[in-house]
Amino acid sequence: MLSALATEPRTRRHTIMQGESEVSSDQRMVLSTVLGSCIACCLFDPTLALGGMNHFLLPTPPEGRGEDRGEAERYGIYAMEVLVNAMLTRGASRATMRAHLYGGANLHEGMRAIGSKNAQFARDFLAADRIQLVREDTGGVLARRLELQPASGRVRCRHVAEHVPDGRPAAPPPSSGHVELF
Amino acid sequence: MKQILAVDDSMSMRMLLRASLTAAGFKVEEAEDGRAALEWLDNNSPTLVITDINMPRLDGFGLIAELRARDRFRDIPVLVLTTESSPEKKARAREAGATGWIVKPFDPEKLAAAVRRVTH
Repeated sequence: MLSALATEPRTRRHTIMQGESEVSSDQRMVLSTVLGSCIACCLFDPTLALGGMNHFLLPTPPEGRGEDRGEAERYGIYAMEVLVNAMLTRGASRATMRAHLYGGANLHEGMRAIGSKNAQFARDFLAADRIQLVREDTGGVLARRLELQPASGRVRCRHVAEHVPDGRPAAPPPSSGHVELF
Repeated sequence: MKQILAVDDSMSMRMLLRASLTAAGFKVEEAEDGRAALEWLDNNSPTLVITDINMPRLDGFGLIAELRARDRFRDIPVLVLTTESSPEKKARAREAGATGWIVKPFDPEKLAAAVRRVTH
């Protein structure tokens, strides 16, 4: 079970940017991110002491934008797949994985529905993939600072009052979308 | 209409494949892993198989090997669609008899173009 993250010495920190996913079993690793209307999904498999986090901007690409190289990774339909697959390839299973969802704030008047739609997408994805959602801190009007210690599953999520933009987009993986016919 | 079997243990990814390839003019059937794919293939003959690698019960490598061992599917095009990008796994898929390798997240237009090219 995921629980509150204690501050520990000798930690290795890695910031998860928009469109990025990371999985680790390194006990010194702490994954962190800053979320506005974006969503971060944290997965943890207690049978392996393995966890991971992603960070996505919107559920699916707007019409005509999914083809752009480097864009796709920022959307939940891909980011969730990449995170789940990274866990599976390290030996985790959907039956033993536990999920947390964070973010999805409705920060601005004109963007009221975006955070809520992001959170609903992530809930629906986890349900479709039969991964148990055990904790959720989404919605509201405040940004969040999130930390996950992937090897223990411990999480710390703090609401922050100041304006915090969602983390800048990560550089796209060099191979994503690549087609090679043999 | 050409029929494609999409094999992936992620329901969301199967839905995305179905939406992308249906829009490109193909008929799409789904299977949730290699074993389910083989069961469906017992009574069906699609034009193409698109398969993930990491799946329970029977993974993509196993599925390709099973297909190539059967006369009926010895020559069917099989595209691997995966988040994996390691050269070793790509080489393994090629040796098993895969027709092509596509790294997720996929570009719907490029995927459709690859499908057309291997099913012409």
